[in-house]
Amino acid sequence: MTAARYVGARVLRVEDPAFLMGRAHYLDDITPPGTLHAAFLRSPHAHARLVSIDTSRALMLEGVHAAVTGHDLRDEPPFTTTIPTRPECKTGTRRLLTIDKVRHVGEPVAVVVARNRYIAEDALDLIHVEYELLAAVMDPEAALAPDAPLIHEELGDNDFATIRFSAGDPDAVFARAPHTFAKRFHFGRTHAAPLEGRGVIGDWDAVSGRVTVWTSTQMPHLVRGLLAGQFGLPENRLRVICPAVGGGFGLKVTLFVEEAIIPLLSRQLARPVKWVEDRYEALAASGHSKEVVMEVEVATAADGRFLALRGSYIGDGGAYLAHPWTSLIDPLCAASFLPSFYDVQDVSYIVRTPFTNKCPAVAYRGVGWTSGQVAREALIDDVARELGIDPVEIRLRNAIPDGEPYLTATGASYDGGSFSESMRRAAELVGYDQLRVRQAALRREGRYLGIGVSPFVEQGGWAARIAAVNGFPGFAYLDSVGVTMEPDGTVTVASGFQANGQGHETTLAQVVADELSVPFESIRVVQGDTDAVPYATGSYGSRTAVVGGGAAMRAAGDVRTKLLRLGAHLLEASPDDVELADGHIRVKGSPAQAVTVKQAAAAAYFGPRPDDLDPALSATRSYDPPETYSNACIVAVVEVDAQTGKVVVERLLAVEDCGTIVNPLVVDGQVSGALAQAVGAVLYEGLPYDTDGQFRAGSLADFLYPQATEVPAIEVSHLETPSPVTEGGFKGMGEGGLIGGPAAIVNAIADALAPFGARIERTPLRPCDVLELIERGGERDRAS
Amino acid sequence: MDDQSGTAPVAAGTTPVVPGIGHAPAVWAAGLVRLRVNGEPRSGVAEPRTLLSDFLRHELGLTGTHVGCEQGACGSCAVLVDGELTLSCLALAVQADGCAVETVEGIAHGSRLHPLQQAFQLKHGLQCGFCTPGMLVAARALLAATPDPSEQQVREHLSGNVCRCTGYTGIVDAVLEAARALRESGEPGA
Ligand code: FES
Ligand code: FES
Repeated sequence: MTAARYVGARVLRVEDPAFLMGRAHYLDDITPPGTLHAAFLRSPHAHARLVSIDTSRALMLEGVHAAVTGHDLRDEPPFTTTIPTRPECKTGTRRLLTIDKVRHVGEPVAVVVARNRYIAEDALDLIHVEYELLAAVMDPEAALAPDAPLIHEELGDNDFATIRFSAGDPDAVFARAPHTFAKRFHFGRTHAAPLEGRGVIGDWDAVSGRVTVWTSTQMPHLVRGLLAGQFGLPENRLRVICPAVGGGFGLKVTLFVEEAIIPLLSRQLARPVKWVEDRYEALAASGHSKEVVMEVEVATAADGRFLALRGSYIGDGGAYLAHPWTSLIDPLCAASFLPSFYDVQDVSYIVRTPFTNKCPAVAYRGVGWTSGQVAREALIDDVARELGIDPVEIRLRNAIPDGEPYLTATGASYDGGSFSESMRRAAELVGYDQLRVRQAALRREGRYLGIGVSPFVEQGGWAARIAAVNGFPGFAYLDSVGVTMEPDGTVTVASGFQANGQGHETTLAQVVADELSVPFESIRVVQGDTDAVPYATGSYGSRTAVVGGGAAMRAAGDVRTKLLRLGAHLLEASPDDVELADGHIRVKGSPAQAVTVKQAAAAAYFGPRPDDLDPALSATRSYDPPETYSNACIVAVVEVDAQTGKVVVERLLAVEDCGTIVNPLVVDGQVSGALAQAVGAVLYEGLPYDTDGQFRAGSLADFLYPQATEVPAIEVSHLETPSPVTEGGFKGMGEGGLIGGPAAIVNAIADALAPFGARIERTPLRPCDVLELIERGGERDRAS
Repeated sequence: MDDQSGTAPVAAGTTPVVPGIGHAPAVWAAGLVRLRVNGEPRSGVAEPRTLLSDFLRHELGLTGTHVGCEQGACGSCAVLVDGELTLSCLALAVQADGCAVETVEGIAHGSRLHPLQQAFQLKHGLQCGFCTPGMLVAARALLAATPDPSEQQVREHLSGNVCRCTGYTGIVDAVLEAARALRESGEPGA
């Protein structure tokens, strides 16, 4: 490729002005003519038999067009969800609207369509539902007991899958190791909680046979394919339009039943139908994430070197499987990255995925890598304290060597990273040694400062190979990008990697601009409409820079080859004797002989051009990359008020290495945003249920987002070890802050509370939880 | 809209005539609301219960004002009503009758970004953009009252506005940068 001019630069985002002026259109900003509005009636019970539903009074309300229950949709096929390539998995089914019973608070039981949303909600109050309460199963471990009440009777028990893995001989190593340590950690459920919730508009045009679905998603083509199957429609009859998305973070890589129900209501009523979830629905009934009960063990040598790792991961899957990923996305990803940053070859794990009467578990940035990282890193800090080794030192002693390819015990092929270097750099930037001095001084004043470190390896570019490494084998991925040079030399890039805040209209344009040696401003990226862009599975799993960037480079490369031929033809030179640079095609060694890219583009459309050249200046290429891995180290500094239990996060620092950086502005933003989510997940965002299954976090007064006053100014710095195996050397990094951040914060709090003998075994750590830790630690001390 | 729409309904009573069934009681009659929005006289129809956020968005078509919670907790619906920072999801359209309302659509000068908006772009103060209108409106209110805020003042002032994407670093930098730019250019903050 030509010398990078845009890749690596802090290019300001082209998408910003529309957002800043209030001109971007999100789902609820779109209302096709004649639209009716839907509202869902949702279960107030965790587990109950549906005895009867009476919608007759709702239908009497003026302005109501329909009130639909599970009986009305009983002929629609259910969602059928499994991982067919994993024989351990059962197959879960879910009716679009339940008929027999409700399985979690917030599950939809009926839907009303009315002239406007106000009337639809009025009508919900007129639906009478009779329930017969059943015992609720709220604890993931209890759900696995042989006598636990069944959530899906047809499955025979509550376990979606039990998966075992072992490499080397960890049990033998444990049996003879000088030290062994174990830790239990229950990572609490949290919520991706994008500020824009879910929303769907369906427009079923029976005359043309076309169905248009607007939805706030990260995966327009997968939605199209899944819905086409659901509706028995040819895929090319369905059009999925995805307007501006107000955040996704993995939640919107799920297909939700509402996305199927709303178009069916449009079919029934022959009018567009729109539903936008409210915040209660988002909190109670979209998807929860990351709740895994873990037990991790490490066997060590006398000098603290890790010899073997074992892990048990019970992922609370909630009432239904996330479609299509299933509830394995948390516990299996956690387990697959048990060794992560550390050179340990004897590793085993067991993964279990119970159903419970809670909101279904769905992906959220970092999926199970987050909770797995917390358990492992908290364990390592315990080991460091017990053995009297500094937490940075013990990690460096066990780190995978920098720079070389490395095959992990769980089968991941790392493509080289700056593992130890990132950690050393992070310690240096945070002023680690000085912080230890300050910590000691403050402790003498009765103030509790804590420092937590969390180095990690992050998969980049989820596609066939990385999916297999994470336990989802046997799938191919098709992710393509189209690049077209127009007659005037401007370029249109068509991308199915639906952005939801990451700035693809800028970053993909940077990549293509360099490849074609054209001004960044001459490129326009189109996305958000399956009628307008080639197939791609979407934007998730830190994949767009790697997979989308790679596909864009390949497509642009094809266009570039044609440009060189066109230029050579104009210059009456051989294609081998010309080069592309600075927007010109020049004869090598004789730079005055040149034509502009624009002239070459015009020649493709209007001539003159070589007779044997297919002049279409357009290419669609795909990319299913080899495995690639970023790495990073997060450091958190906190102060804990031992009187009130309040934790103040003083500093959050990241040293990250995502290979070739496309746009440092965007990378910094991704790290910063993910680290703020880490603060939320650890300190604020509980999603409690009581033992009867009542949901206790139905509003933003209960589910607390971290705000500007709770998040410090986040410090990000970069190392750059380009991938030797991917197009462009990109590695992908969108999730890292939320993979490494929570462990850093948990460890910092544990470090602060070390004088109290406190042992952290769960999140969230609200002030009341911290006070309890201090008290219990004290009791343990007195007892011992 | 009722923020509990997704919750279980109260089981309906047995009387056949309940408000809203069959006919709308006179007290629910929709009426005309007249106000100034971003300097222009506007009017539209609202029921007494119509939220100001819904009125702006769906009656007047000003969809720049966003709705993130309808619980008064996220700030994405912030507008200025007669200069006062107001959560439009907690106000009724009829309350704004006769008032001057300013929304995100009124900040730029035509197609030219206001210095505050420029600073948001420069400092990467937005990702998905959903919180951005509320942030901009809240930041304008701050800069009008406090042209030279400290970082802590910015953070405290914006603590009613949630951003799920940026971690606030870019937003806080942007507001400080805008304050500087506005002071230097001598433009009034608001
Ligand atoms: S929508 Fe008004 S505060 Fe959230
Ligand atoms: S930019 Fe997405 S919520 Fe702030």
